[in-house]
Amino acid sequence: MEPVKLTAKDYKTKVPIVWCPGCGDFGVLNAMQQAAAELAIPPENLMVVSGIGCSSRIAGYINAFGFNTIHGRALPIASGAKLARPEMTVWAAGGDGDGYSIGTNHFVHTIRRNADITYIVMDNHIYGLTKGQVSPTTPHGDYTKSTPMGNPDRPLNPLALALELGATYIAQGFSGNVKHLRDLIVKGTQHKGFAFINVKSPCVTFRGRQEFNVVREHGVYLDESHDPTDWNQAHEVTQWKEKIPLGVIYHVHGVPTLDQIAEDLRQKAQEQQKFESSKDLLEIFR
Amino acid sequence: MRDVTLAIAGSGGDGVITAGDFIVQAAARKGLNAFMLKSYGPQIRGGESSARIRISDKPIYSQGDYVDFLVVFSWKDFARFTDEIQLRQGAVVLYDEADSTPPEEFPIDKDLGVELIAVPFKKMASEEIKVPLTKNMVALGVIAELLHLPLDGIKDAVMKKFGKRKPEAAQVNIEAIDLGKSWVNENLPDGTQIVLEAEGTGEPKLVMTGDDAVAYGALHAGVKVFSGYPITPASPILEFLSKWLPHFGGAVVQTEDEIAAITYAIGASWAGKQAMTASSGPGIALKLEALGLAGIAEIPLVVVNVQRVGPSTGIPSKSEQADLFQAVGGTPGDVPRVVLAPSDVEDNFQVAVEAFYIAEKYQIPVIILSDQFLGERSETIDPEVLFARKRVISRQLAKPSDLKDYKRYKLTDTGVSPMTVPGMKGGQYITSGLEHYEDGRPTSSGTLHQIMSEKRARKLPLIAEESGFVRVYGDEDAELAVLAWGSSKGAVREAIEKAREEGIKVKAIVPQLIYPIPEKKLDAALKGVKRAVVVELSFGAQFYRYLRAYYDGLPKETYSYARSGANPLLVSEVLEAIKEHAGAMNAPQEA
Repeated sequence: MEPVKLTAKDYKTKVPIVWCPGCGDFGVLNAMQQAAAELAIPPENLMVVSGIGCSSRIAGYINAFGFNTIHGRALPIASGAKLARPEMTVWAAGGDGDGYSIGTNHFVHTIRRNADITYIVMDNHIYGLTKGQVSPTTPHGDYTKSTPMGNPDRPLNPLALALELGATYIAQGFSGNVKHLRDLIVKGTQHKGFAFINVKSPCVTFRGRQEFNVVREHGVYLDESHDPTDWNQAHEVTQWKEKIPLGVIYHVHGVPTLDQIAEDLRQKAQEQQKFESSKDLLEIFR
Repeated sequence: MRDVTLAIAGSGGDGVITAGDFIVQAAARKGLNAFMLKSYGPQIRGGESSARIRISDKPIYSQGDYVDFLVVFSWKDFARFTDEIQLRQGAVVLYDEADSTPPEEFPIDKDLGVELIAVPFKKMASEEIKVPLTKNMVALGVIAELLHLPLDGIKDAVMKKFGKRKPEAAQVNIEAIDLGKSWVNENLPDGTQIVLEAEGTGEPKLVMTGDDAVAYGALHAGVKVFSGYPITPASPILEFLSKWLPHFGGAVVQTEDEIAAITYAIGASWAGKQAMTASSGPGIALKLEALGLAGIAEIPLVVVNVQRVGPSTGIPSKSEQADLFQAVGGTPGDVPRVVLAPSDVEDNFQVAVEAFYIAEKYQIPVIILSDQFLGERSETIDPEVLFARKRVISRQLAKPSDLKDYKRYKLTDTGVSPMTVPGMKGGQYITSGLEHYEDGRPTSSGTLHQIMSEKRARKLPLIAEESGFVRVYGDEDAELAVLAWGSSKGAVREAIEKAREEGIKVKAIVPQLIYPIPEKKLDAALKGVKRAVVVELSFGAQFYRYLRAYYDGLPKETYSYARSGANPLLVSEVLEAIKEHAGAMNAPQEA
């Protein structure tokens, strides 16, 4: 029997979408649904974990095991899920506030453990759900509701941070180019290890429609001249000031993942000493 | 004597705890009951430490109020423990003659009439064994000889620890023990002895700490993912499972912080595997938001809190019972949760199994409120009792008929809805920390919030009915009762026995399930009780206030005996509290 062909429609849900008309996150949702279809992941084998924020609502909009968790904690919940069920595909998603502010600690350590999950950050440079406060990626000097005199802080560079931390797959997409983003997600999902995709996903309500144009004008699609296995080249790209790199910035293979390491430990432990039941462990207390 | 309490005090490098461990193991091998409480200063290495060991052929429930036999390596170190190590009248005290403190400055009450004996522990170890570190083993030989402890049992314990890996070390230690023994025979008159007359059953017992017991219980209950972050006094749980869980097909992660520790466990449980995290008060505080997530999303979860002295950093290495309000009321919103309190080491094992049973069956977070006093002490346990109670632990998974138009949060009479796990076709759903419809879709409807709050709360009376275990000791028809929880049980149980020996009719009531309150069982236990004393180690009398607020069945005359923790609850202070209220009870009634 021919396997049933899955389409993006198979990953839609009945949950009403709360995003503003024109929100960049629609593009990301489409890209994720298309990527799932292309990868032919049965919906019951897909887990989508998000944090809190406008973009984190996305977990409810994808037909999968969806979990819209608490602020900043998508990554450890996704990591725990992957550790428990390595045979499942686990995606984590959220915004810049969720991932680079309240959840930074987890971003750092999930990279360190190389948990085999794909992390899609919808970076809109603003706190949208709380209606317009400064975020860790808001440009210096920008006016927001919480920076009436202009943003005094310098923005965080998530791509450079991920590279320094040893991330094994780093990409940047644009919600205005769904096809390109879909391919980044497909590649990231196929990557064995932590796949980090920062997506320029404009907030039309609090940063204005021109944000799309900013990416269109300054976005540069990486071509064959960029070697994503070359750390130095990747580093240079993450340091671009005006231009916005789009595509796979860095990609290396062979780094053990969280669930592989756990499996290796289990095998090693069980080779050393095999117990028939937990009762046999009583001996250590004698 | 059939019930001896001894203490060894020294600095961290003196091997005080190791010596104590050997004594306990020796007692266990003979089938005796033993109990060891370790106490440390805040230093990582060096600093003061003490081991307090009680041995008896009768069941032991507490650390023993007074010490019969004390070994002091350094008076300066001992001086830090005068709060917790109180000597009995006429106790025997051995001290290292190498300590230059003049006898008039020994931090010991002169009125106690203790017998002081200087012993060349350090000299024997350095000059005869030529290994200064064996000082503790020389002392062990001296102790064993004076107490008539089974020397072969101690040697077995030494062989078990060093035999395989370091046979030379085992040999040196055994020589040191023998040296201590002969020193007693050559130097001390026969009268200087506190002979332990207790005969063991001959059936070897196990030696376990409370932290190991809760970890082992979890392992036995089938935990597959444990995630934790180091914190005193809960770290031994992380260490135990790191060592043993992979042997049983599980995984352990030491996470970046306390929040990651609980959220890893939530993710794993949502994915379908039994999961647990453990911490102490300050770490639990950080986990509370996530606990609420497990509550509203109805994800099975077990969280262990090995309470320590608070608030904030408090006294990390000592015990208190002041995280009760945090467990019962912490986290924003009306979060359904269950709080279980183990009362001794064996109970730590049982409660861990029960916690998984409740968590999985009712899809609810369960908090185990242990404490440092339970977690870090060692006790002897009968091997059979551990597995006497059988619990089949399973999650109510959705059946094929549930999967048609699947509703994760379907309204049911029990409040428990069929749960799917990834891989079950048609079982996909959205879950979140948001209030939701039956199918998991978010809502901001107040009506639905009420309905869902009711649904989640419907589980609680069922849990109280099924798992609401209340221990009752003493006179069934007593009109005076002591109410206690958790680790206070030990001293309370001994105190009521003492009171009864003195002719006071009294009983002790100790619930294992703290929240929800097992009302019917508590009502039954309190039947006929006219006066109650609530005993606890919480300055704010949290248990007393909790019962007052949440439970209608307390006798009108209910009093509180509460003090801050750090120093273990004494049998004598509980006895005094009992007498105070019993006295009033026996006073002539006014017309």
